[in-house]
Amino acid sequence: MSDNVESYVLFELADNVYALPSRNVLHIEMFEHVTLVPNANPAIDGVVFSRGQVMPALNLRVRFGLPREKNTVRTRIIFTTIHDRAVGLIVDSAREFRSFPASELRPVEETLTGINDKYLRAVVKLRERVVLILDLEAVLNLNDVQLPSEALTLVENTTSKV
Amino acid sequence: MNNRNATGLDAELLNDFFAEADEHLLGIRQALLQLEASVNKAQPDPKVVENLFRNFHSFKGISAIVGLGAAEAVAHTTEDFLRLMRSGKTQLSAKGLEVLMAATQKLEQLVAAFRQQKPLPSYESLLAELKQQCETPSDSEPVTKLPTAPMAASDTTLWTSVDEARSRGLQLWKYAFTPSKKINAQGVNVNTVREQLLKVGEILKSTPIIKAQGEIVFEFLIAARNAPTDIADWETRGVTIQLLPQEETEIPAASPEEETHNPFLAPSHVVRVDLKKLDELMRITGEMVIHRSRLETQIAQLNRDSRRVDLRAVQEVSGGLGRSLRELREAITRVRLVPVAEIFARMPFVVRDLARQSDKKVQLKLEGQDTAMDKYLIERLKDPLLHLVRNAFSHGVETTAERVAMGKPETAVIELRASNAGDSVIIEVRDDGQGINPNAILQQAKKLGLEIPEVLDNEAILKILCASGFSTRDDADRAAGRGVGMAVVNATVRELGGSLTLESEEGRGTRFTLRLPLTLAIAETLIVEAGGQTCAVPQSSVREVLHVQDEQIKTVNGVEAIPYRTAVLPVIRLTGLFRLKNVSKPKHCLLVIESERGSIGLLADQILGQREVVVRVLRDPLVQVKGISGATELGDGKPVLILDGAALTSGNVRPPERFNTPAKTSM
Repeated sequence: MSDNVESYVLFELADNVYALPSRNVLHIEMFEHVTLVPNANPAIDGVVFSRGQVMPALNLRVRFGLPREKNTVRTRIIFTTIHDRAVGLIVDSAREFRSFPASELRPVEETLTGINDKYLRAVVKLRERVVLILDLEAVLNLNDVQLPSEALTLVENTTSKV
Repeated sequence: MNNRNATGLDAELLNDFFAEADEHLLGIRQALLQLEASVNKAQPDPKVVENLFRNFHSFKGISAIVGLGAAEAVAHTTEDFLRLMRSGKTQLSAKGLEVLMAATQKLEQLVAAFRQQKPLPSYESLLAELKQQCETPSDSEPVTKLPTAPMAASDTTLWTSVDEARSRGLQLWKYAFTPSKKINAQGVNVNTVREQLLKVGEILKSTPIIKAQGEIVFEFLIAARNAPTDIADWETRGVTIQLLPQEETEIPAASPEEETHNPFLAPSHVVRVDLKKLDELMRITGEMVIHRSRLETQIAQLNRDSRRVDLRAVQEVSGGLGRSLRELREAITRVRLVPVAEIFARMPFVVRDLARQSDKKVQLKLEGQDTAMDKYLIERLKDPLLHLVRNAFSHGVETTAERVAMGKPETAVIELRASNAGDSVIIEVRDDGQGINPNAILQQAKKLGLEIPEVLDNEAILKILCASGFSTRDDADRAAGRGVGMAVVNATVRELGGSLTLESEEGRGTRFTLRLPLTLAIAETLIVEAGGQTCAVPQSSVREVLHVQDEQIKTVNGVEAIPYRTAVLPVIRLTGLFRLKNVSKPKHCLLVIESERGSIGLLADQILGQREVVVRVLRDPLVQVKGISGATELGDGKPVLILDGAALTSGNVRPPERFNTPAKTSM
């Protein structure tokens, strides 16, 4: 059996375990500082500087429509790369690497999680838990998220004053 | 072993060839434009002809070195023609000029094909035309070849020069140079060998030959009076010498069409550097070495007795070092600058070529050719500018008949203009043609299902033009169909940290304006802060900084504004930009931001300082937003956004009325 074993980075988000292929991960860092970028998509927390590059930081919770959480010491930025792009994903925590043979990947069943299954590529069932393998390309494609029309105008005063 | 292809040619040699070829072609193009004025005059400007002659001659030489026989032959025959012209034996006719231009274009194509390892275009008919030009009707005298054409190398000429050399009692020697790492380390390479050979005799031919082991040998055919005396000396330099027997001079039959193409490096981005600029770099480096040694002395002192360290001296060294570094950076920046003439000079040929096959008359005006830009930018702008010029020709300019009917001058004008504005270079492509018909654009946009803007102003039109997939009926035609579309033009300009704008008036003409940073990497900025958010504003777009009281800010038609000089300046709050809570402060800093589009006042809490920053373009689409031109990092690992002065003043970024009724600013 020639099974393609691939290594994955496992991370957590709202009590679910997700995974990204290691080849799509540049490195992982503690969450420290993010610079706001006006008018970016709401899921974009801003830009971060890492290893000589300025990269967008995408809040995966917001991206999946989950409530935003305060950053903790466990919060991590996973710097991912795909098609010459480099984007940081803000996740609740990231701690381990695992390798799965391709034969263990199962198709995604709907209603498995709260999130839209179009961001998932496959599911791996470990003994004690389910690992959801992300479709990074789909996650980074924000064109399907409707921007509020005001967001196209750069300047808005704080709504509190209106 | 008549392998004339250059497989495995030293990459550096090829790079040099391409750089040099470009340089000669540029010189040729510029000289040809000057020559145009000499058409049908008894004697064309001798200086220009001489200049052309030299360029073609050098071109021939370098083509021979890399074994590009086709280019060698074309350049050689062109040289013959120019020689006649120089000696006054022939006049320059319009036809003659055209043939010269065709030859230039052919050389360009040959080099391009060689570079891309594509089959070489055929050049025989051109060669025939050139030869015909050499036999001008008035001239019955046979064309005499200069006896000592030093690089005679097209094959017929090679035979003549071999015969001719023999007739002068010269012997033919074959010098074979085998480059190796060891020899190279001693400073011996094909160029130095070549130079030394020139002292020995005439180089009739040089051929790179690939041996079976992949080793490369350069064979030089030398005509010399005396036998070489220093054979051993040559051998230490990797050169073997062989006398060719009288009869069987082996001359490889050249058939350029059969040439296979060689793997070579991607086109190099070579910058030729003025020695003076390098000297300056050297001087600054020397200064830095001195600073460093002073610093070391102080550090040593610190080790011995920290009380005796002269803090002022250390600070001075640090200051000096900083100064040198800045100078070094500036000097390097200058080294990278090349004149836009590198791109502009090819445009007349493009336009001439297009005009010949159409019923349009166009005059191309070039201005500001000396404007210098970063080499990288120049390279990247070649295709976009070519596209804009072609666009102007095929979409902008009307046919002669149409122009006459409208009472316009017969000849249309396309103008390419480069100029400096602060830290930017502005390149305009303007035509006096029919302008853009908004309805036609609208129809096309609808057909393609593009978003239809409410107001079809220039900006909206540009947006549609730059939508990917947008094309007009003409796009398949010769002029506009090749190369890149407006989408690519726009994307390139943005990627380079620049902006593209359009002005068009129906019946009057169209103007595209590209605004690009002078250099990519560094910008002088003001670091400002508001509500805890820090950002950088390019100093080139800041006209002045004022301190204003809160009560000076008024609300006019729902937009905040402040009296400024004799007018009113719209105000953008930095806090508003970042949607931060607007903490009321009695005093603000107001940066007057100015671009060719207008002025606004940017309101910040304070100015933290002035910094030169390295600009990083935000490439990812997730963070490409209006009003932000890039980001930088000030040494603390936190990115700081760089505001885009042009976008801030464009009106796109002006506060929408409904969001702008600050409670505290009562009128």
